[in-house]
Amino acid sequence: MNPAHAADAAGYSAPTGDVILFAVMAAWVTFFALFTITRRNPVTAVMSLVATFFGLAAIYASLDAHFLAVLQVLVYAGAIMVLFIFVVMILNREEVAPLALRPTRILGVVAAAYLLYVFASVVGFGDKAAPTMAGPPVVAETYGTVAAIGGILFREYLYPFEAISLLLLVAIVGGVVVSRSHQKEVAALRAADYRKRVEELAEHDYPGTQEEPTATAGGHH
Amino acid sequence: MPSAYYLVLSFVLFLIGTAGVLLRRNALIVLMGIELQINGGNLALLAFARQLGDQKGHVFAFLVIALAAAEAAVGLAILVGLFRSRQTINLDEATLMKR
Repeated sequence: MNPAHAADAAGYSAPTGDVILFAVMAAWVTFFALFTITRRNPVTAVMSLVATFFGLAAIYASLDAHFLAVLQVLVYAGAIMVLFIFVVMILNREEVAPLALRPTRILGVVAAAYLLYVFASVVGFGDKAAPTMAGPPVVAETYGTVAAIGGILFREYLYPFEAISLLLLVAIVGGVVVSRSHQKEVAALRAADYRKRVEELAEHDYPGTQEEPTATAGGHH
Repeated sequence: MPSAYYLVLSFVLFLIGTAGVLLRRNALIVLMGIELQINGGNLALLAFARQLGDQKGHVFAFLVIALAAAEAAVGLAILVGLFRSRQTINLDEATLMKR
């Protein structure tokens, strides 16, 4: 069957299975995303974020983005979430007041709802004539597979690919440097400060005797 | 499914992420909100790629995932550093630059 003819007849209507799958996954993703940002306990929040990412992987797969669906599970639900869990383990602090809804913020919710309405009308949601409401075009069998994406990535986008590896290296080094413990440096600075103050006090109480430490230091060599 | 549905879902995800970033005081949850925003953007990229039948959107989404990994690593490292120096991850209490 030619999809173009179906679209001409009475607007595009997706196969029922697709609609049900999309509805379920969209509800799943939205629910767990809301769950993520409203939970007081960070562990619950991270777990709902994992659920969100798994649902998103299913939605990617329904968009024929097979490679990205796998990557979503591997990188997001795997690597990044492990990182989050570890940091939650290091600093497990619950909030006292997690979500304060002040009048201005309710106004913000109204503004966000209006923004959503505007966005939906811009992308042609519900408008039968809009190209985004027509059925998606028929694509080749290889669309979104590892081989196809790899071909584009290593032929046309090799430099961005190499640049992103450099970025990851910088991020690793930066992460280590930023999160490193500075206690030794701080202790050394404090000790130097303390020594200086003691020497100043000695100079104040017994002027002219501060030659001795340098003399002994010299003799120490 | 028409792409408009995916685009609206991506915008909803982005809005939820933005709400998390703006409303929460726990820096960890704020970082998770940023992840939600990034995923909303990614979903829009993939929806448009499917609409146009063009796989370059997948390459961009791939790069965005790598970027998000780097962002999470550095962001969480900053969080750990903040916690080490101030014993808190409440964003209202991290006001060193305000004085």
